[in-house]
Amino acid sequence: MSAIAHFLESEGIQTTGISLVRENTEALQPPRFLWTSFPLGRPLGKPGDPPFQRRVILAALGLLERDSGPVLEDYPEDLPELAIEDAPACPMSFARPAGAQTGATPSWQNRLAAELALMRPWHALSVRRRGRTTVGIAKAPVDALIGRLAAALEAPLLEGTDLKALKYALEDLKAYYQEALTAQPGHHDFQETARVLWQETELGGAMLALHERFLGHEDRRFKAFARGIAPRSQTRGRGGD
Amino acid sequence: MVRLADLPPDERAHLIAKNSEPLRPAAFVAARKPLSQRRVALVTTAGLHFRDEPSFDLMDASYRVIAGDLRGDELVMSHSSVNFDRGGFQEDLNVVFPIDRFRELVEEGVVGSLAGQHFSFMGSLVSPPMLEASARQVAAVLRKDGVDTVFLTPV
Repeated sequence: MSAIAHFLESEGIQTTGISLVRENTEALQPPRFLWTSFPLGRPLGKPGDPPFQRRVILAALGLLERDSGPVLEDYPEDLPELAIEDAPACPMSFARPAGAQTGATPSWQNRLAAELALMRPWHALSVRRRGRTTVGIAKAPVDALIGRLAAALEAPLLEGTDLKALKYALEDLKAYYQEALTAQPGHHDFQETARVLWQETELGGAMLALHERFLGHEDRRFKAFARGIAPRSQTRGRGGD
Repeated sequence: MVRLADLPPDERAHLIAKNSEPLRPAAFVAARKPLSQRRVALVTTAGLHFRDEPSFDLMDASYRVIAGDLRGDELVMSHSSVNFDRGGFQEDLNVVFPIDRFRELVEEGVVGSLAGQHFSFMGSLVSPPMLEASARQVAAVLRKDGVDTVFLTPV
């Protein structure tokens, strides 16, 4: 982000925008940024709150008035803490069988397909409420994506795995689940949604098992790919980086 | 919240490792111009693109053009990092790509106009030098469109 700002500005175009990691911006010294304390992934802070977003934008645009730089200013407004008990309840209860994380059983396909069936009505509700879905980077139906994940878990060797296709499948499946889990109106706590997804669902168990499988591989390319499967917040203590 | 001091040590170390040397020569255009006369483009590193376009590769310094008349339901995100929240984007495109807010600002006369097209990069695993060629291409297109101001959003 900082680099793009630098190159655009060096071509004569004024830039301003949002920084989410103050230290990174400070190091690269791009022309102008407004640092906000919002979570990674949410540069404008609050979804569904136009006045909040507008205040952030106007503060960043205000930096264009400065005569010299680099400018790195702190935005004073934090996001209000969300009381988890006020968030809509998770629409489903999951009972991930013991041992599901080991990947030892050959039934990932069936377990994932059964869980996907539970998600469908909630995903349909999400699409109806939001008027859109962000699923679609793998360009294949979600049933096929389940198959791709199960195949990667159950294949005797990883060497034949199409890593790019697998990555897109994982991202689409996560998006499908997250949209389903947060289909009900109201403010959802994203960390709680992530906890449910990774710690309670079959999909989460499958992805953690896949992460371990890749991380344990002797080929550095596969080892590195593990980082693109599961976030550090969910693999802490499992040897992820 | 991303105050590094509040993050677990491994997360903190990972983010600090992304620090790099200042880009030189420093670039800073000082131009006092009222917002109401500015033509603004949005540029994001969120890995957004239209659904029917190729998704970003795992390491990818290319960009996608986001036509100015986009509808929010047409965009998907193929950013390769798993270490940020996508729930905000799923709920509201504007939390990542504030196109509706800028359309409102233009309608109210606060901002002059919006570019004919906006641009999206995928900001993971790409170093500043890798982005230079793409960024300069984008600058050339923006200048032709009369854009004088870019609003940048990361994830």
